Amino acid sequence: MARIKKKRVNVAIDMTPLVDVAFLLLTFFMMTTQFKPPEEVEVSLPSSHSEIKLPETNLMSLWITKESKIFLGFDAPYMMEALFGKDFRLKAAAEIKKDDLANLLMKARITNPKLRTIIRGDVDVDYGLVADIIDILQKTQITRFAMVTNLKK
Amino acid sequence: MAGGGVDAGGGGSRQRKKGKRKPKKRISVRIDMTPLVDVAFLLLTFFMMTTVFRKPSTMEINLPPNDAKVDIAESNLLTIRVDEAKMIYYNFGIDVPKKMKFDDLRKFLVESSSQNPKLVVLLKIDRKGKFNYMVDIIDELNLAKLDRFSIAPMTDIDLKEMARAS
Repeated sequence: MARIKKKRVNVAIDMTPLVDVAFLLLTFFMMTTQFKPPEEVEVSLPSSHSEIKLPETNLMSLWITKESKIFLGFDAPYMMEALFGKDFRLKAAAEIKKDDLANLLMKARITNPKLRTIIRGDVDVDYGLVADIIDILQKTQITRFAMVTNLKK
Repeated sequence: MAGGGVDAGGGGSRQRKKGKRKPKKRISVRIDMTPLVDVAFLLLTFFMMTTVFRKPSTMEINLPPNDAKVDIAESNLLTIRVDEAKMIYYNFGIDVPKKMKFDDLRKFLVESSSQNPKLVVLLKIDRKGKFNYMVDIIDELNLAKLDRFSIAPMTDIDLKEMARAS
């Protein structure tokens, strides 16, 4: 009796092209990814043991740089436009004078009452300036704010 | 896998022609890559799903409104003054201030807060000090669970008090 020979199909698939493509993509993304857009205002943050995370939306940031310059910024482009005009729409922050701060804070709070205030102060900035700014915040009824720090190990 | 078999056979025929040559057995070099790829993708997905990008942390501060007045008992008040060299001057109530190094602050705060949980801290930092001092000291207060604190400007009276310190 002649049995019908069943042809076995080889099921081994060559994985090499798959691996090639996978590594190609991996290297592509590794090389093109930019982790964080470079900050427009440079401050070296102090470190603390606090583990409360930074909120993500409705942020109003106050930068205080080493050179005692003050920058005010918002995470939403429409806020930037409302306060500083069209040119600043896509910027992260704009330099301001200490005397204008109270007015700008008031205006910002009218535009968006849900704003959360955060201070990004440089480690080496004089406390006097920070105290003045906290004073201005208190006068404009912003009694809740947060200071951004790095986690100390 | 079939290729390996053919190679081994070829080696055998060559041996027949040149008798003195040692039989060289060819081993198939084809390696199954599937487990390697499996593991690679497993690791890739694992790290992709577990990675949390580092986000800066924040320190919350609640200040009393400008016009609010809070009365506290003198015995519950701890005044901490910091001069421009980060030297700490502390006093309870209206005592004469005492000097302390910043490094000793943590132990002191933990002890004081366990002795008197109702303690309220009044923090006065010299304007010529650094922003860093404020963050460091508030950090220590948070670590000692002293979350009732207030920040006040340093006046000439404070400077005189600090001069009396021992």
